Amino acid sequence: MDTRRVLVIDDESIVRTSCSRTLGPEGYEVVAAQNGSEGLRLLEEGQFDLVLTDLKMPDMDGIEVLKKIKENWPQTEVIVITGYQTVETAVKSIKLGAFDYIEKPFTPDTLVAAVVKAFDKKQ
Amino acid sequence: MVRKSIHSLTGKLILTIGTLMVVGSTIFWYFLFRHQEHELIQNSVKYGYSFVDYVQKSTRYGMLTFQELLIQQTIEAIGSAEGVQLVRVFACRGKIAYSSDKNDIGRLVDKNSPPCLTCHQYKSPPTEVPGWTITKDRNGFRVLNIIRPIYNEVSCYTSACHVHKKDRKILGHVEANLSLAALDKSIKNQGIAITIYVLIFLVVISVVLCTILWNFVSTPVSLLTQGMEKVAAGDLDYHLDITSKDEMGDLARAFNAMTYDLKKAKEELVEWGNTLEKKVQEKTAAIHRAQAQLIHSEKLASLGRMAAGVAHEINSPLTGIVTFGHLLLRRFPQGSQEYEDVEIIIEQANRCSSIIKGLLGFARASAAEKALTNCNDVITHSLNIVRNKADFFNIKLITELDDSLARVKADPSQLQQVFMNMIMNAADAIDGKGTITVRTRNMKDNDSDFVEIEFHDTGPGISDENLEKIFEPFFTTKPVGKGTGLGLAVSHGIIQEHGGKIIVRTKTGEGTSFFIMLPAHKEI
Repeated sequence: MDTRRVLVIDDESIVRTSCSRTLGPEGYEVVAAQNGSEGLRLLEEGQFDLVLTDLKMPDMDGIEVLKKIKENWPQTEVIVITGYQTVETAVKSIKLGAFDYIEKPFTPDTLVAAVVKAFDKKQ
Repeated sequence: MVRKSIHSLTGKLILTIGTLMVVGSTIFWYFLFRHQEHELIQNSVKYGYSFVDYVQKSTRYGMLTFQELLIQQTIEAIGSAEGVQLVRVFACRGKIAYSSDKNDIGRLVDKNSPPCLTCHQYKSPPTEVPGWTITKDRNGFRVLNIIRPIYNEVSCYTSACHVHKKDRKILGHVEANLSLAALDKSIKNQGIAITIYVLIFLVVISVVLCTILWNFVSTPVSLLTQGMEKVAAGDLDYHLDITSKDEMGDLARAFNAMTYDLKKAKEELVEWGNTLEKKVQEKTAAIHRAQAQLIHSEKLASLGRMAAGVAHEINSPLTGIVTFGHLLLRRFPQGSQEYEDVEIIIEQANRCSSIIKGLLGFARASAAEKALTNCNDVITHSLNIVRNKADFFNIKLITELDDSLARVKADPSQLQQVFMNMIMNAADAIDGKGTITVRTRNMKDNDSDFVEIEFHDTGPGISDENLEKIFEPFFTTKPVGKGTGLGLAVSHGIIQEHGGKIIVRTKTGEGTSFFIMLPAHKEI
């Protein structure tokens, strides 16, 4: 398993594009989903090492997605992206098994650093 | 105003007691009188019997010797005595043999006359007979009529005259009519005297009763009535001067107490009427203030909600700007014009980001982790951060911290955010030159303890116009790019969330004081 596969779930296309444009050149295969259910479908279709998910989405919120992933694919790490960060939601996500959380707007360096840390942990 | 009719209390009482006394004494005196009269009659009868006995004994010798003239003379002599109306002796068959009234002699006595009937009403004469009756004479005076039998004795039928035979039991009768006029007169006089005594007694008792009732009942009652009329007419200063210790005194004291209470109540009412308008004005002003405060906090809350929404929506495009800015930056050599241009894009995007952070802070003051915090420590820490900044080189920082300051239940990092904001604002207000004083103290207000932190600056003060808006988000007097206008809004939200409040006192030209009040934690 040479390619490191990352799934980005966010309803904003600019966030999805930002992630793939940042992580692509770093050697990650980035697949994007625009909502929670699409993300879960993609997870069923293929193996992913890491999921980046937004917290606030129209159909299913990030906490719900996080719970489903940790239930069905416990090996997959999750980093929560939030534009509405509060201590409570951060604590809640970590408690539910998220590896880390990053705040919008994030710089490419912040994103790469968090992703690298997640893969380091896996190995 | 005393009613002197029989309908008055005194009249009724006197009438009742008078009637009772008249009836009572009449019955008493009547029976006493009757008894006395009876006794007198009995005495008269006894005297009458003695009298008849005396007649018999006086005439005995004449009878035995049969000297008719002597007997007649003796009877006449006795009959002439005062009070003796008539003395007669009749032989058997009712023939009058001797009499003090000579005309009677030889006549027959009517067997049906009242004196005779006392015995002759019975078939056989009773052994013991009363032998007396009472009749009235022509003048209306009573007359005691006594008849006693003359019994046959040995000396009678053995005397020389041989008039009476041995077998007869009764030889004749002696009759005496004794006048009771003197007795009647005496009884009459006694009756008159008793009546007079009773009347005098009644009058005396009535006068005494009247006086007593007048003094103890009528006078106080009329005074009370007078008092009530005065009070009813509005004179609430009227005071009754009845000091007796009886029921009337109690009534008067109750009346005085009532008047006093009435007066007080009336005064209160008048006072109320006078101050009502003022009170209404005060209440109205308070309601207006509360309403304004409510509108203000509602305004801040809805602004907070809006800010949070805006912040969330803007974060994603900002992520794009920042990401692609950085990606673009890598393509240009450092120092080139393009590189610098893209750097400006990123810098401005970061500025947007910090505005957003402020907005979010304003919107979510609720996510606090509260712990028992000493405000003095937080202030010292905050001041240490700013002390070495270049902006504070010309500022004199004075702290007057109360060592016994109560602790508060608060999020220290949020408190630091507020205090830093206060200090930075003060520094801006004095434009980097002047004095900032931070004071802490324990306060008490309406039985609740709280901690007060004062940030005082020597700046120009805040105008009334601006004072209304300083807590609104995005309101700032700082130059564009320097302030976001969120600092005080966020501070206000945080302090409110902690159950406290921020008060501003400012005077143009003399500086401004921000007072932060937080509820003190009750140490057990």
